[in-house]
Amino acid sequence: MNIVVRAAEWFIGLFQQGAETFISWMGTTVPLVLVLLIFMNSLIGMIGQDRINTLARHASGNPVSRYMLLPFLGAFMLANPMALSLGRFLPEFYKPSYAAAGMQFCHTSNGVFPHINPGELFIWLGIANGITELGLPTMPLAIRYLLVGLVMNFVGGWSTDFITRWVERQQGVRLSRELKTA
Amino acid sequence: MTYNAITVTRGSSGYGGPLTIKAEGAKNKIVYIVGGGAKPEVVEKMEELSGMESVNGFNTTVPDEEMAVAVIDCGGTLRCGLYPKKGIPTVNVMPTGKAGPLAQFINESIYVSAVGPDQVSLADPDAVPAGVAAAAATADAGAQPAESADAAAQAEGGDEVRYSSDMKVSESLAKKKNKNLLEKIGLGAGKVIAIFYQAGRDAIQTMITTILPFMGFVAMLIGIIQGSGLGNWISQTLSPLVGSGPGLLVLGFICSLPFLSPLLGPGGVIGQVIGTLIGVEIGKGAVSPSLALPALFAINTQNGCDFIPVALGLAEAEAETVEIGVPAVLYSRFVNGVPRVAVAWLASIGLYTSTG
Repeated sequence: MNIVVRAAEWFIGLFQQGAETFISWMGTTVPLVLVLLIFMNSLIGMIGQDRINTLARHASGNPVSRYMLLPFLGAFMLANPMALSLGRFLPEFYKPSYAAAGMQFCHTSNGVFPHINPGELFIWLGIANGITELGLPTMPLAIRYLLVGLVMNFVGGWSTDFITRWVERQQGVRLSRELKTA
Repeated sequence: MTYNAITVTRGSSGYGGPLTIKAEGAKNKIVYIVGGGAKPEVVEKMEELSGMESVNGFNTTVPDEEMAVAVIDCGGTLRCGLYPKKGIPTVNVMPTGKAGPLAQFINESIYVSAVGPDQVSLADPDAVPAGVAAAAATADAGAQPAESADAAAQAEGGDEVRYSSDMKVSESLAKKKNKNLLEKIGLGAGKVIAIFYQAGRDAIQTMITTILPFMGFVAMLIGIIQGSGLGNWISQTLSPLVGSGPGLLVLGFICSLPFLSPLLGPGGVIGQVIGTLIGVEIGKGAVSPSLALPALFAINTQNGCDFIPVALGLAEAEAETVEIGVPAVLYSRFVNGVPRVAVAWLASIGLYTSTG
């Protein structure tokens, strides 16, 4: 009999631990993310997609604005996955590189600005929870995540230009370098 | 009088649509029911393109059978659901989604929001007008609220008539100008509040549909890992990999392998689970907190590898761009994967050193 009781207690214990974890998130992370989400949604609603599009059209000229500025702002303003739609203002050849950088910006900025990718928040939050558990602030980690991302996502985007050229040669296709005028 | 069909799409942060609107028989009026009774710009554009006549619904009562489309500025109370309920295509100038007590009647085939003049255009000649099918089904269901709305509209209309007939022309003009300024402030404030309100609804929706389910799932996972002996077992297997910089480089390398990365990508679920496991290890003190930074990069070197065609599709890429872009991004992830973890490892110098 004792064994059955202990087994049942152990079984429920698993979920009590889960419940404690869940409710501690409800008290800390959830309200913060929620309020931030509301603020960012409002900001995006007020600025509007049109102005972002105008910006995108001007940002395609050089690699720095193309793979650092544009995807960073795109992720910040339009969030995942609509940030990737800004690639349509680039010539065909640059679209894969923009996608490569853009998808990463939807994660690396997520520590400071969780509204960007709430659906995949736990890439960041899973690890950040460990830091919180130790009683340390997560913001130093979030800032470094963002900064390293800023540099390395740019490198990732730019280097994809060369890889795209290589794949082009391999497949015997040449993508347009000029922006199609619609 | 010939009428043209027009298409109305949703504006920035709007919902619903695109709607195709066409006048048929007696059903040929654009009725606008907006706060203050000022004709919205979008109505003028709709008149111009469609050839239909517009009517201020606050001054004049228009029978439902004559309404081709209703233009409203509802921030999410009754009106935004009232006309869809009656089967009348509804254009909202506010960015309101499915909201209010009649939210269940609002859907993409009968309602479009955040509409400005730029969202109105001439339709394809063969497009099917909205609300034709819906009208029959819901025509009598909306009778009750329609009457009360009509009554309110009449009351308001009567008010305005009395105003103008009681005053001299100059007085009434002055009064009107005044009112216009107030109106402008009122409408402006109303619009900003509507944006905030809609942002709140969207955020709560995101919370409920995407964040909370994942939190529940992860909380359960953490509970089982910590409550059972599983945690120790995972620590022993995972620690060599995630407990040191070189181990994380290996993890990043594995995740970025071009034949593996698209399989690891979907929804970021695997990355999120591994991240949570590493987080648990960091929380227990088994892994140094400064390794959190390279770990963030190591668990995500496959970032979006399953998503490349969709991402390129969002960028309106041509078919051959997708054919080249998919392998190019996969190789790019592979080439950049390990260096990203290495740079993050370098950048973690000095992070949480006072305790770690």
